[in-house]
Amino acid sequence: MSHSHFEGLAMDRLTRHISTGSKSTSWRWPSLHQFRAVTLQTGVVPVANGSALLNLGRSSDESIGGTEILASAKLEVEDVDIGGDSSSGVEGGRIVGEKQSSPAAYSHLSAAALDDLQHDYSTILNDVLSHASLRPPNLGIIPGRKAWLLALDLIVLSDVGNIYDALFMAARAVLWDTRVPKTRAVEYRPNREGVKGSTDMDLDPESQSGLDTRRSKAPAADFELEDYWDDGPALGGRDLWPVSITLNLFPGVHFLDATTQEEAATPLRLILVYSFPTKSRAALHGMHLLGPGDIDLAQIESLVKEGEKYALDIYTGLNTKLKDEELRRTDKARLKFSAAR
Amino acid sequence: MVEITIRKRQREDAAFTQRKFFKKTARGKVIKVVRERYLRDDVSCGIEKCRECASTLESHLPFSGAVDHKLFPNGHFVLPDTNVFLAQMDLMESSFFRSPIILLQTVLEEVRHRSLPLYNRLKALMKLDEKRTWMFYNEFRLKHNFIHNRETAVVREVGESPNDRNDRAIRVGTAWYNTHISLTRPPIRGRPVPVLPTIVLLTDDVGNRLKAEKEKIPCSSVQQYYLSTGALTAGIKAGQLYQGHFNANQFNFLEGSVTVEAYSKPVLLIGRENMNRAVQGDIVTIEVFNEQEWKAPTDEVVDQESTLKNDDADESDEEGERIVIEEKAPRPEGLSRPISEKQPTGRVVGIIKRNWRAYVCHIDSTSLNSSTTTSLSQQTVFATPVSRLLPRIRMRTRQAPALLGQKILVTIDKWDITSRYPEGHFVRALGKVESKEAEQESLLLEFDVPYRPFGKAILDCLPAEGEQWVVPPKGAHIPAWRDREDLRPLNICSIDPPGCEDIDDALHARRLPNGNIEAGVHIADVSHFVLPDNPMDAEAAARGTTVYLVDKRIDMLPALLGTNLCSLRPFVERLAFSVIWELTPDAKIKKTRFTKSVIASKCAFTYEEAQIRKDDLNRQDDLTDSIRLLNTLAQKLKAGRMAAGALNLASPEVKIHLDSAESSDPIDVEQKELRETNSLVEEFMLLANISVAEKIQEAFPQTAVLRRHMPPPKANFERLQDILQKRRGIPLDVSSSGALAASLDKCIDPNEPAFNTLVRIMATRCMLSAEYFCSGSVPKDAFGHYGLASPIYTHFTSPIRRYADVLVHRQLAAAISYGTLHASLHSKTHVEHTLDVVNKRHRMAQMAGRASVEFYVGLALKARGERSATLRTGKVTEEAFVIRMFRNGINVFVSKLGIEGLVTFKRETRFDANNYTFVIPGSGQGGEDVVIAVFDKVTVSIEVEKDKNTQRGKVKMTLFKPIVDSI
Repeated sequence: MSHSHFEGLAMDRLTRHISTGSKSTSWRWPSLHQFRAVTLQTGVVPVANGSALLNLGRSSDESIGGTEILASAKLEVEDVDIGGDSSSGVEGGRIVGEKQSSPAAYSHLSAAALDDLQHDYSTILNDVLSHASLRPPNLGIIPGRKAWLLALDLIVLSDVGNIYDALFMAARAVLWDTRVPKTRAVEYRPNREGVKGSTDMDLDPESQSGLDTRRSKAPAADFELEDYWDDGPALGGRDLWPVSITLNLFPGVHFLDATTQEEAATPLRLILVYSFPTKSRAALHGMHLLGPGDIDLAQIESLVKEGEKYALDIYTGLNTKLKDEELRRTDKARLKFSAAR
Repeated sequence: MVEITIRKRQREDAAFTQRKFFKKTARGKVIKVVRERYLRDDVSCGIEKCRECASTLESHLPFSGAVDHKLFPNGHFVLPDTNVFLAQMDLMESSFFRSPIILLQTVLEEVRHRSLPLYNRLKALMKLDEKRTWMFYNEFRLKHNFIHNRETAVVREVGESPNDRNDRAIRVGTAWYNTHISLTRPPIRGRPVPVLPTIVLLTDDVGNRLKAEKEKIPCSSVQQYYLSTGALTAGIKAGQLYQGHFNANQFNFLEGSVTVEAYSKPVLLIGRENMNRAVQGDIVTIEVFNEQEWKAPTDEVVDQESTLKNDDADESDEEGERIVIEEKAPRPEGLSRPISEKQPTGRVVGIIKRNWRAYVCHIDSTSLNSSTTTSLSQQTVFATPVSRLLPRIRMRTRQAPALLGQKILVTIDKWDITSRYPEGHFVRALGKVESKEAEQESLLLEFDVPYRPFGKAILDCLPAEGEQWVVPPKGAHIPAWRDREDLRPLNICSIDPPGCEDIDDALHARRLPNGNIEAGVHIADVSHFVLPDNPMDAEAAARGTTVYLVDKRIDMLPALLGTNLCSLRPFVERLAFSVIWELTPDAKIKKTRFTKSVIASKCAFTYEEAQIRKDDLNRQDDLTDSIRLLNTLAQKLKAGRMAAGALNLASPEVKIHLDSAESSDPIDVEQKELRETNSLVEEFMLLANISVAEKIQEAFPQTAVLRRHMPPPKANFERLQDILQKRRGIPLDVSSSGALAASLDKCIDPNEPAFNTLVRIMATRCMLSAEYFCSGSVPKDAFGHYGLASPIYTHFTSPIRRYADVLVHRQLAAAISYGTLHASLHSKTHVEHTLDVVNKRHRMAQMAGRASVEFYVGLALKARGERSATLRTGKVTEEAFVIRMFRNGINVFVSKLGIEGLVTFKRETRFDANNYTFVIPGSGQGGEDVVIAVFDKVTVSIEVEKDKNTQRGKVKMTLFKPIVDSI
């Protein structure tokens, strides 16, 4: 397929858009600002602390197809080493993202090219998610001694376009789904008066903020799992996890959710990463321009405004789905169980 | 064709098909574990003739349960909650508890989670024939087309704690059983209404009991006193708690100590609360108090028997605190003591490991309610352990009257927080008190000496020829002669104590043409017979050492080897391992070589015979020359060693004269005499050991078996230094072994020759004991032997009676390329482990030996007392030295008998702790004050009296001179 053919495809969608107005006549050729179908399932990896399977673009009557991402979050305990090198733990915990692509998803790429691609994706994800402004408050275990390391794994099972938006959606889903086991700092406090053992053990009254670095080493030396059965409370900052929106730019017009072919034909793509700490206020967490084309600043400004609108749509839609999923896995499952007996 | 379908479980079912939990590993990682749960509807209830479940296995539970309980005339089954097994395992195990038990899977898993030992006991209980137990897999039972309204699989509710969920599962299980029984036994018209047994939920938990709608039997609730393991580990990691072995104080049963690395002095635990039910030898976790609360050890003798004689075994629980306070009250002068004497003080907060075993005890006769021998009623009595380090043990028995006056074996089962005494049970009787057999066996048991005869597997490892085994005639292809030197022509002789059967060393010396002297030490080649990794080797390793009691020897190796094939008897050829030196006439080593050899000893001397032979100037034969040569060399070696700073220590060694072999009644005790020849043998053995140590360390730097003697911490000498300085004005320099040796030499009282020996004995007690170690496990600068002032040392010379020597023989043989080293001796962990056992056995053997001597000294004294009573010569008196002072008594050492004794005063005394003196006012002949100080010579009258309560023979000393202390 020649380059012009790709361009033709993209132009096809554009021309259809122009001729039919903003309404799409066919699911196969959605409107410029419409997304393909998104399916999402959480809790797919039982041994992980949080997991999600996201598919973008698979229609309901198909069993394969679409951009598919399996995401999981795993929590590991690490020692906090104040002033240590970067490979050791950080006060208050940290997030490390790792994106893998199954070779099957990119069978046309060589191993080296695949590595490059993975690195590109990982960098964009890591830049945003590992940023201190997004650090969840409950990744600390014992201030100054132990913290959780959240290892985020995203595996691209197949890619039929708009991989960035899919990655961020999956990442948001998995971080939303992640639960941090409850821990209790154990310390020994000399107790002269009482002889009852129970008073010797004390638990942290509340979890410490990860941002507060003023505290020196806590007296607690070790921790224990408070409740070894419970998945624990959700990872903090659920509402903060961002979504991204990729605007595929043609001169004078942009469209969303490009397929692989459309992407190939698009000269410039603008990736905007937004989070919505409150409904009204959006926070821009990242912006990337991909592609050989150029654009002037005034245009970007209007695009950013547009992008915020799209992002909010995605954000709300995703939230509804995530809440739904959570309900499915808890209350509904329990209902089903009681129905069975 | 069979259609194969893969029935994949729906992910939607995960909530009840999967069980997830987190686990914290020992290394501090957190792992999420997911378990699949397969639900099924055919989990059997286990009750006989059940309509629903009959088709399954053979049923274990009787149809109508147990019908003997008056609360449940219709019969009942017991369904215990987890806490019942955790707290009342003894009850459940009791053979009087006959109710059929339904054990829920939930309960079993919870027990396993909480306590592995209890889990194992529970597993054993399930297998008992006399118990009727049915394990019900309640977590797996779920019916999809249900007939019962309830099933037993339970899914956790939101926010429910695991404990609550399990409690609910247990309640649901109980309810299910009751419904199950009523449904499967419906009333049938025309027949009597069926009698339905009840399932009784047995629980200790008030909350669970309240929630349970069904019948329940309440049990007592459990109290927890020790900290949880989690808090303990955290405390130890944070350096706030310490872990160590608990040592009881033998003079004061309300005091103990724990030695921890963080403090140079042992941490003191005063009072029953702070000792917190620790028993001698337990590994405990302790907390150390703030420094201002540190105390000095008591200077008072508190005897358990006299202080607590009014305790009633049946009801001593309630008034526990009162006596403790009483005992503590009279200690005001503790505050005025100098700070330096204060020791770290703390309390036990947790027990890591109990080291309980069976203890030899006597029944305390006063604790018996009814002593008529026919009485078979259950009584609670006190058993007093022979060892003063142990608390009295309370036990319930029906045989109490019959056991009076016997030595019995008692084990401790538990020690509850509410109890002042540990609870135990009677194991077996050893025999009448003071009968030789009972005393001997009790001694061996008390010191954990393995004394069973050697088994067949072990004896099978001996040479088939048995007593007839001889060194085969020399030949090129005889395996026994491979790489062996023929030393048969040499004038080799052995020098040992009289009556020695296991001769493991022999010596020779001769002049060489170049003016130097060749000296050789020949050690029995035990490793030729004891091959690695066979039953005999394993047994020897476990025994570790031969134990010498006064009238018995418990061999490490079967007697055939020990006293015959390995023993270097005279006039027969024996295999040996030889160390041969070329020494200058000044006893400087020119050359050392090691070789396996064949020797033929020319004579077996006793120390005395050798001494006489050497001193007899008329004897001019080669053998005598050889002894003289050895003697002169030994003197030079000794001088050299002393110059290097070796210590000449003393320990009280006495010898028991046995009347005759048959009766083995001792008639008298005498101190061992040391001759030149003792020193001769000793010097050459030391030289051999050092030479061998160097060789094996060079060949196997990682796994060489060595022996070391750590320098004692200076703090150990503080008291002795203080006493010497204050009483005699003699300084004691403990900066090095040489300095100590020199200052010990200066501790001389011209009027009292025994004074020096006394100080040496006391100094010896301040030292650490020597130990075997593996060269790879300690840094090279810690190899030294403090007492011998040698940088390296091992034991090579007594392989018949010490297992470490056998290992050294194997290593040396490999070092001289005689054979290959067995793989186990290349493994550091294996060597370490073996030496740990040997060290422990060695210590125990020494204590057993000492206790045996003490027992015979007691017998001898008793005999002497009886003799003097018949002859009306008055009381038996001996001279003794005061070695330690307490507030109400003195510790004296009777050097002639080698025993220590306690003299407590009955009259009013003034005790000056700072100057180590006692003032006994107005007791002198003229009414003046009499002063007794440490190191003073006193005369004590000694008698052996039987403790009325425990039947324990007890040496009792009372002051005879300067004053007669009587009431």
